[in-house]
Amino acid sequence: MKYENLKLKWREFTDVFRNEFHYVFHDGGVLLIVIGAILIYATAYSLAYKNEVLRDIPVAVVDESRTPASRDLIRMFDATPNLLIAYKPTSLKEAQNLLYDRKINGIIVIPADYEKKLYRNEKINLSIYTDASYFLMYRQVFYDVTRSVLQSGLEVEWTRFVSSGAQSEQAKALSDPVVLTIKNLYNPYGGYATFIMPAIIMVIIQQTLLIGIGMVGGTWREKRLYQTLIPVGEKRMAVLPIVLGKSAVYMLISLFNLLYVLGVHYYFFGYPQNGAPQTLIAFLIPYVLACIFGGIALSTLFKYRENSLILLLFTSIPFLMLSGASLPRECIPDWLYMIGKIVPSSSGVDGFLRIQTMGATLSEVSKQVITLWVLTGAYFFLACLGMRSILRRIEKKA
Amino acid sequence: MKYLKAFWRVFIREIEIFGSHKSFYRLSLGLPILSFLFFVVLFHNGMPRDMAVAVLDQDDTPLSRQLTRMIDATPSARIAYHITGMAEGERMMKQGKIDAIVYIPDGLEKGIYSATQCDVVAYINDLNLVKNGMLTKDIQTAVTTFSSGIQIQFLMKKGLSEKQAYDQMMPIYFEKHVLFNPYVNYTYYLLSIFLPVMLLIFVVISTIFTIGVELKNGTAGEWYATSGYNILIAVAGKLTPYTVIFFALCMLMNTILFKYVGVPMNGNVPLFFLSGLIFVLAYQAIGVAIVSLLGNLRFALSIGGGYSVLAFTFSGLTFPFLAMDLPLQIFGYIFPLTFYVDIFIDQAMRGAPVIYTVHYVVYMAIFLLLPLILMPRLKRLCTDKKFWGKL
Repeated sequence: MKYENLKLKWREFTDVFRNEFHYVFHDGGVLLIVIGAILIYATAYSLAYKNEVLRDIPVAVVDESRTPASRDLIRMFDATPNLLIAYKPTSLKEAQNLLYDRKINGIIVIPADYEKKLYRNEKINLSIYTDASYFLMYRQVFYDVTRSVLQSGLEVEWTRFVSSGAQSEQAKALSDPVVLTIKNLYNPYGGYATFIMPAIIMVIIQQTLLIGIGMVGGTWREKRLYQTLIPVGEKRMAVLPIVLGKSAVYMLISLFNLLYVLGVHYYFFGYPQNGAPQTLIAFLIPYVLACIFGGIALSTLFKYRENSLILLLFTSIPFLMLSGASLPRECIPDWLYMIGKIVPSSSGVDGFLRIQTMGATLSEVSKQVITLWVLTGAYFFLACLGMRSILRRIEKKA
Repeated sequence: MKYLKAFWRVFIREIEIFGSHKSFYRLSLGLPILSFLFFVVLFHNGMPRDMAVAVLDQDDTPLSRQLTRMIDATPSARIAYHITGMAEGERMMKQGKIDAIVYIPDGLEKGIYSATQCDVVAYINDLNLVKNGMLTKDIQTAVTTFSSGIQIQFLMKKGLSEKQAYDQMMPIYFEKHVLFNPYVNYTYYLLSIFLPVMLLIFVVISTIFTIGVELKNGTAGEWYATSGYNILIAVAGKLTPYTVIFFALCMLMNTILFKYVGVPMNGNVPLFFLSGLIFVLAYQAIGVAIVSLLGNLRFALSIGGGYSVLAFTFSGLTFPFLAMDLPLQIFGYIFPLTFYVDIFIDQAMRGAPVIYTVHYVVYMAIFLLLPLILMPRLKRLCTDKKFWGKL
């Protein structure tokens, strides 16, 4: 008896699996989302961010000094990785117009008495105008200008100490007793794609699953296809094989998507791959499961085919923000961050970044893994509940 | 007069449809306002403060402890842990407990007293560019201040007065003038892009939805008939209610940005508001174009949705256009948002003279021509029954 029952359940599972598989692969709209979207989006974003960093940001120097010393300073600015001295206008007004024309992103003014003061051991005052309306450019312009100015200041100090009789090493210590070396970890060149793409990819995987599964669910309700799950004259199918059968299809699709992303896309664009394969697998299983069960649970709420797209599309950017990968987690109000944990991508992005970019082990991301398993359980329960209520409603009508 | 009456009939018909279907409320009122709220709350805290930093202090002298305190006192860093080895620090970083490790090697104090240059190393996680930028700046400032303090003491010991010592150090300094975003506020900055992105997503989707649903439900013929068989009037009458709603939302967005959040508005206000109207119209035009071309609600929604979400990346605000390859830069111009962001930067942030901005408004207006080209196609969709009733 028990064995018979199990066999029946297995048959139901395979029926649902085959049914769903056939359905997904014969619906262009669903395919476009669950398979096409990841190819299109991941590629489009990666291409846009391909160059990772911005170099040679054009700035203007207004050189009121016009002396060998000021030209030395300008050369020093030009030699930094981020700056390009694109124009040398004669007045600040002229420089400002260049800025409005979007030809430059910053202005450096060297005063007329630059050389004179340099030789007289007096303080020199440069004026720097940086355009903060584009943040990334602002940061880089400012960083490089500051460093060059500090560096040339140190050189001047060192020369002055040496000329007043100090030893070379001693002069170095006198002009700058403690030096800070900064080492950037995990993204040494500060690349934008390295920073944002892994997070975007994880969010796309979740969103395409939620929208795609929702689209199938909505279509089934709209076309009254759920009735097919209740064969006439028979007892309705159990909920468990239905949910698992549907899920198996999306597991398969996700497996394909992840293999593409991690095996092809990652290599092609050269993103960091520091995660051990077994760690990645152990982490991605609960992530994908939570997304799929969440998708099925949501899909039971949609009455029309288009609803999932309408209601879920706009959440992509908010979900990305809630993960704390792009916007620093410290910026997000704590209560909102905690609520955000009900979305799989919040823990998914966080954990994935730590594993794949930073090379963390599973025990180092245990918090995220546990959260994902809890979500998997909760969404599985909700998916079964939703499915049961749909089938019951149909039964009542029939 | 005849046209005006027809327009009015379509307009009224649309308002009745709007009143009778939940999806319309959701799309053009509920969800946009909800998403605005979300972002306002999300950015409420402003910049990150007191990020956790670990110190590996092998010197452990009064001077090294002073340096630690100085780093702790900066706005963005907080010394949360004292560690005994790099491996421990690295593990904590992977677990997300800290964002940086400051390594003070043995011999700092001794070195300072014997006038040899000393090294301090900061390992900063660069997984998040924003956090890294702030920590780099603050730790650098703390160490420079520490170093300068020591330098002054040196010089004073050599017999210089305090003023002489000050003059001697930092021979070149600079006055920093931050243009256009005086508070260098990242929040302003992101909020002023996320809100328009949310707005445009809903403009595109609701435009596609309201036309597409007529095709799906097979009521397109009725709609066309109401307009007196004039497709231009049919479209205008149908979309005008949404233009009003979305322009109102656009003004709500401006109120949030300029009044509540306090983003500067340095330029020409009427021009900026006009741009907002054209921004809404341009995205409605794109919605009409997409649904006319594809003639199918669901497919048009997928494409329209995909297109609108992409706009953010190509607006050039977070990742500058300058850094993209030429084809991608050109691609960026198929999104009205790109121009809207340019106008926003010019007028709100920079207060640029109008002459530097007008051409962006014109470019954005060019999108309005799109649906005109596709009117014959839309007319066919409304008259040929074979396009109706598809999911």
